Amino acid sequence: MINLAWRDISHSLGKFITTALGVGLLIGVVLVMIGIYRGMVHDAMIVPNNIAPDLWVVQKETLGPFAESSRLHEDLKYSLKGFEGVSAVHPLTFQGVQIHKNGKPIRVYALGYESLSSFQPFTLTSGTAIKIRNREIIVDTKTGFKLGDEVHLGRNRYTVVGLTHKAVSSGGDPMIYLDLREAQELQFLFSNEQIRNDRERGGASNATAMVNAFSLTLKAGFDPKTVGDEIQRWKHQEVYTAQEQSDILTKNLIERSAKQIGMFTMILLIVSSVIISLIIYTMTMGKMKEIAILKLIGASNMLITKMIAQQSLLMGAIAFAGGALFANASANYFPKTVILIPSDGLKLFAVVIIISILASLGGIRSALKIDPASAIGG
Amino acid sequence: MKKAVISVQNMCKTYGEGEGAVTAIKEATFEIYAGETVALLGPSGSGKTTLITMIGCITQPTSGKLTLDGDLMYDEAWKIDDTRRIRREKIGFIFQAHNLIPFLNVMENVTIVPQMNGVKSDAANQTAKELLDYLGVGDKLTKMPSQLSGGQSQRVAIARSLANTPKIILADEPTAALDGERALSVMQLLRKLAHEQAVAIVVVTHDERMLPLFDRILRVEDGVVKEELGT
Repeated sequence: MINLAWRDISHSLGKFITTALGVGLLIGVVLVMIGIYRGMVHDAMIVPNNIAPDLWVVQKETLGPFAESSRLHEDLKYSLKGFEGVSAVHPLTFQGVQIHKNGKPIRVYALGYESLSSFQPFTLTSGTAIKIRNREIIVDTKTGFKLGDEVHLGRNRYTVVGLTHKAVSSGGDPMIYLDLREAQELQFLFSNEQIRNDRERGGASNATAMVNAFSLTLKAGFDPKTVGDEIQRWKHQEVYTAQEQSDILTKNLIERSAKQIGMFTMILLIVSSVIISLIIYTMTMGKMKEIAILKLIGASNMLITKMIAQQSLLMGAIAFAGGALFANASANYFPKTVILIPSDGLKLFAVVIIISILASLGGIRSALKIDPASAIGG
Repeated sequence: MKKAVISVQNMCKTYGEGEGAVTAIKEATFEIYAGETVALLGPSGSGKTTLITMIGCITQPTSGKLTLDGDLMYDEAWKIDDTRRIRREKIGFIFQAHNLIPFLNVMENVTIVPQMNGVKSDAANQTAKELLDYLGVGDKLTKMPSQLSGGQSQRVAIARSLANTPKIILADEPTAALDGERALSVMQLLRKLAHEQAVAIVVVTHDERMLPLFDRILRVEDGVVKEELGT
């Protein structure tokens, strides 16, 4: 049997494909939105995954260090090391700062760590780790700095000795890594004027030996939950397992953004389905005379329904293919990470197919209502 | 004894109800036989189209009886479930403006009807080719309707109407869009087909010049169908 849908499309192929690709741009934006969400989750987990602790210890009654601010005395590390099952304790600072390159501001996220230990919360792509506590810094390539470049940070200048690639914070800002002491100065050391003022006020503390969190590595065979409960009981701090911290980041921190993206994605899908419906409806209306003739010469409702539904499905499939091409071609040009996962694409394809079927219903309904007598003049 | 392919008895069609009701066809009774060409003549709005659509099982009569090729189609109600099947199998249609499907080529425009009847594409193609050759457009098989002249298009439309080997052909002003010479050629062709293939052909026409080519003339005026005597 002649495929009427394909014959009709091939009669004006260019118009059909152009229209489908137009819808494809919308589908592409939907794919990119999903990719942005995946990118957010991925980015949020880069720093915790690089640190890879068994437990996080943060200030009591906070969700620190990523979701809420947290402050702890650095010397707490000595007592934490004393807990049974704890193999290593790494004090860490986290701070959003702004640096400049060629006069342009760049938002970065600074992580301070004990650089002279073997602990390295990053993966270097070139250069070396910080070897001496002398204003050395590791930066992500996304900042634009190269090995040997000088970076002005706070009241000091740092030399880039190592580079990471695609190390970003949950907010998408590129990471920089400093020695803990220098990071503490950056975050906690007041200006000389403020220190004098505070003394006049009656002896405000100028302690810089503070950190934002501790990452704890446990010995093999120890249950993180049990060790965490012990620490919580005796040190009166908040303790999270790696999974709990991951949940805080992905569920609490980016939940609102995810909802925002979800809403936007839904709106785009609704807009896409309305547009496909209108296109299919308009295409069907343009063929009313032909459909009346087909009915008059005996075409069944099934044949007419098939013709319209197949056109709608083909439009959805071409639109999806165009959208997928657009999303893949543009993903790397977005300022934040966009991760396109095949399974997301497959799910969206299924949604597009369902939308296409639903979109054809209006056209089919109108086509089936056409009186075959309208093909006869008089 | 001649066999009536179309038998219409006391057939009426009324649109609307109550005071606004309009009777388009009033108590029409006639028979049309195999191999006959019959002209349906009448002014605009007289009910010709309503009559032809009722014979074609497109419009449901209000009352009366309709029999096509010996099968009772309507007797105060449709007596068949699928009127489109009847149209596919028994009736061929020819329109004023050829009404070929613009996105199908000549061959496909003709083969679509037998294919809808379940004829395999090879057999349908063979039949279509023979018909198109017979009608003098056998060299246009792959052309699109937009690439044909008016006369060629009408010949393809005639081929389509014959593709399902119908017993009845209903034509709605098939020569209205053609010049005198081509119109005459098409009408002569229809007459030839009727006689050679024993098809009953009913043609709605305004063209008085063509009337000598018809075996009979039915005149429709204000919904009343009368046979013109002496034709």
